[in-house]
Amino acid sequence: MEEKIKNLEENFYKDLSLAKTIVELENIRVKYLGRKSELVYLFSELKNLSQNDKVIYGKKLNSLKENFTNSLNEKIKNIPQEEDYLDLTLPSISPKRAGLHILTIVTNKICNIFKELGFKIVEGNEIEDEWHNFTALNIPLEHPSRDAFDTFYLDIERDKNKFLLRSHTSPSQIRVMENYKVPFKIISPGRVYRPDKVDASHSFMFHQIEGFAVDKDLNFSHLKGVLLYFAKEFFSKDINLRFRPHFFPFTEPSAEVDISCFFCKNTQKEKCTVCKGKGFIEILGCGMIHPNVLENCKIDSKKYKGFAFGMGVDRIAMLKYRIDDIRLFYENDIKFLEQF
Amino acid sequence: MRFNLNFIKEFIEIDIEPTKLKDSLTMAGMEVEHIEKVEGDWVFEVEITSNRYDWLSMVGIAREISAILNKKMNIKYPKIKEKQVLERKIIIENQNDCPFYVGRVIKNIKVKDSPEYIYKNLKCTLNSINNNVVDITNYCMLKWGNPLHAFDEDKIEGNIYIRRAKNNEKFIGIDGKEYTLKEENLVISDDKKIIALAGIMGAKNTEITKDTKNVFLEAAIFSPITIRRSKRVVGIDTESSYRFERKVFYKNLEFASIEATSLLEKFADGFYYGYKEVPKKPIIKEKKIIISISSLNNYLGTNIKRKNIVGILKRLDFKIKTKKDKLIVSQPLYRLDIDREVDIYEEVARLYGYNNIETRIPPTSVNPEIRSNYDFKNEIKNLLVNLGFNEIISYSIVAQKELERLKYYNFIKLVNPLREEENALRVDLILSMIKTIRYNLNRKRENLKFFELANVYFKENNKIYEKPTLCISVIGELENFFYLKGSIEEILKLLVDNFYFKEDRLNNFDNALKIFKENTYIGFLGKLNKIVLEDFDIKTNIFFANLDIEVLENLKSHKFYKPFSIYPSIWHDISLTISKNVKFKEIENIIKSKPYITDIKIINIYKTKDTEVFTIRIFYQSDQRTLTSQEINTIHNSIREELAKLNGVIIK
Repeated sequence: MEEKIKNLEENFYKDLSLAKTIVELENIRVKYLGRKSELVYLFSELKNLSQNDKVIYGKKLNSLKENFTNSLNEKIKNIPQEEDYLDLTLPSISPKRAGLHILTIVTNKICNIFKELGFKIVEGNEIEDEWHNFTALNIPLEHPSRDAFDTFYLDIERDKNKFLLRSHTSPSQIRVMENYKVPFKIISPGRVYRPDKVDASHSFMFHQIEGFAVDKDLNFSHLKGVLLYFAKEFFSKDINLRFRPHFFPFTEPSAEVDISCFFCKNTQKEKCTVCKGKGFIEILGCGMIHPNVLENCKIDSKKYKGFAFGMGVDRIAMLKYRIDDIRLFYENDIKFLEQF
Repeated sequence: MRFNLNFIKEFIEIDIEPTKLKDSLTMAGMEVEHIEKVEGDWVFEVEITSNRYDWLSMVGIAREISAILNKKMNIKYPKIKEKQVLERKIIIENQNDCPFYVGRVIKNIKVKDSPEYIYKNLKCTLNSINNNVVDITNYCMLKWGNPLHAFDEDKIEGNIYIRRAKNNEKFIGIDGKEYTLKEENLVISDDKKIIALAGIMGAKNTEITKDTKNVFLEAAIFSPITIRRSKRVVGIDTESSYRFERKVFYKNLEFASIEATSLLEKFADGFYYGYKEVPKKPIIKEKKIIISISSLNNYLGTNIKRKNIVGILKRLDFKIKTKKDKLIVSQPLYRLDIDREVDIYEEVARLYGYNNIETRIPPTSVNPEIRSNYDFKNEIKNLLVNLGFNEIISYSIVAQKELERLKYYNFIKLVNPLREEENALRVDLILSMIKTIRYNLNRKRENLKFFELANVYFKENNKIYEKPTLCISVIGELENFFYLKGSIEEILKLLVDNFYFKEDRLNNFDNALKIFKENTYIGFLGKLNKIVLEDFDIKTNIFFANLDIEVLENLKSHKFYKPFSIYPSIWHDISLTISKNVKFKEIENIIKSKPYITDIKIINIYKTKDTEVFTIRIFYQSDQRTLTSQEINTIHNSIREELAKLNGVIIK
């Protein structure tokens, strides 16, 4: 009896280990646990044993039956059912994510960095007058310094003041300075307009962000600090800025700011299509607010100083995301929009 | 502006590499675009900012280089022995247009090629070579920055007048083109004819030809504004107008005129005959600006020593007197751009090097009064993105024609549009949205859900409006009107309590729902009508919603947590046939008037020719207890009975 039980056990586990499908396992169940199985035969043999052996082998056979059943069930559980089986190599069904326009994303990113530095967001007006767009900003109405600001005029005139579509976001400076008391730190994003023929790099409408601060103890080194903080946060920690003297009527001193090329990192810059071999890319204009501008807004320029800067959002977005045609922003092709 | 190194080397010794010089100039504010080798010389292409008229000359550029390299300049200022005063009268009509005019006559000249050094310098810079006479005037303009003009003396008839043109007076320039002048144009004329468009271009009738024997050489100061307006009328920019627009400096004008005279004697074999100047030599006073060392350092955030400041300013030709902790500074007379202390600070900063100034984070000071709705707009945008709408940004400038097609008339027009397609400001975002959708449909993009949040602009009662507006649109199989309605509800639920829809008719829409809270109009949604769709060649239905952002912001109320029921919700369905003249709203109102109704949903609609079969699922729930089926059946039956009483409704 002892031997028969041992053989039976060995054969069962051997067969079990080889079985791979539900069908095979069912066959094993019939073979080892079915009505005509060896086990049933062994049970029937018990009656021929001594009382003592009857008890011992009875127990053994019962536990054998239990083990067989459990092992089979365990193995069956681990074999996936036919109808549960998934072909995981089928292509995915894409859920459609929607998104903000890339210009909004970039604008928000930029504004949020300045918010960390205590700047507040204020939007200006798109319809402006000559005073806010030019005169108050120390841009004489008839001077070559205005050539950089070709402007769309509107069919509205009030008290000899001509209305126009702002050609930059700097009028926001004047609006804030006229309406609020110092001090302030403002970041002002928005649409601006210039009569430029549309091509891959020009548009009659584009976006700018103006930033400025006025307080008692501000100076040029603060302007540099703020812009360096911004550039490192926005582009990359390992970039540098280069400040070049420049001329803007509304700031003095004025500077143009270049960022060290974040693509070629100055290695192999000869081949770089982004900085075109210069190693630097111009990203914004800035300076200390001209005292004439403060005075135009009735702020005491002896007591208060300020700095200001302005940048083109479209241009920065194009640089950062390698978008090679400004028209893509305004065509709103869903294939473009859904990439961001 | 281009300059060549050999020209500059006439005034200053340069012993650094051209690429080094390129960087130094750029970092001092004279941006070098690129450098190249021409005729064995180095040519620099630089961008001159509009304040630095003095850099529009070789002498000016040399001065800057001398300041950067800290090297002495070596300029020979030309001198001449003045001759007799000409008999010809020179009459200036208005001295505001022309404060000073000097003419010199050089006789018996020979028109031929220029000497090599003039030829080479012009080739590298203007890249324009004429004859010795014209080349000499150009050479002197380049050197000193002041334009000159040479007339054929024998073709000038009588006196010279500096006057405004008469309207429609004609002028043929040395470019051979005819220009029709206006009163804005300042001209030089003789007794009979116009001989130059002042400060811009000479006339064909008096130009230097190979037969010219005697030359009348003009040097003058013209008003920058006058020249600016004049060149705009004729639409030409010349080397001459470019410089006059940016002011010219009297002393350099004298040098240019005198040197040109000497060169005409030397290289055109002429002799200086006589001159006339009107009204008289301008007197230029030295300006004094007082700066303090500490103010300068406070402004820049630096700690530059007095010695260094004085050194930098001296290199730039400033005269300096010291008075306690202050400096009394006088700029060189040719620096017409220096006006206040800050201008001096900039001069010091740029030669000290902007990149040597430290970087600091400014102290925080916040003005709590300043508010804006920027964050609210972003909140709305994010809600829409969460609902699966993509943001678009489209042009604010559209075609008047298209606005009129949509029956808008209160739009603001551009006075100087680039083209007809963009000549007016949009009164509504719908037009741009339609065009965006058409653009995508033409590219076979389907199932579109877009929104734009931007300003619209219009005039009303002599007032200008610029209003932030939200436009939402859906198009496609799944995205129908009710999807849009649901999206609007989903947004408004979060912002406004108790808003409601009211049916109404609107321009351009088949029908529309207006959205209100109490009596306040928030916006509308609707289905664009066929005529508009056909106009824009679109073959699918478009559904629109338009919401006023300012109104929404004003209505926005704070949301508190609302407890929700923990007892089971039970639903029962009703199927009913509704004829076309019954509005669903009537059915909804009856159902919602009953107790314990938390929601109703349409789970099936089947349309026949003039009826619709609806299966409505009604949800019952109490927030106090579990409702018994008996209770619910009683309510449900009463709904059935009441609905059955409605005309045109059959309960199934």
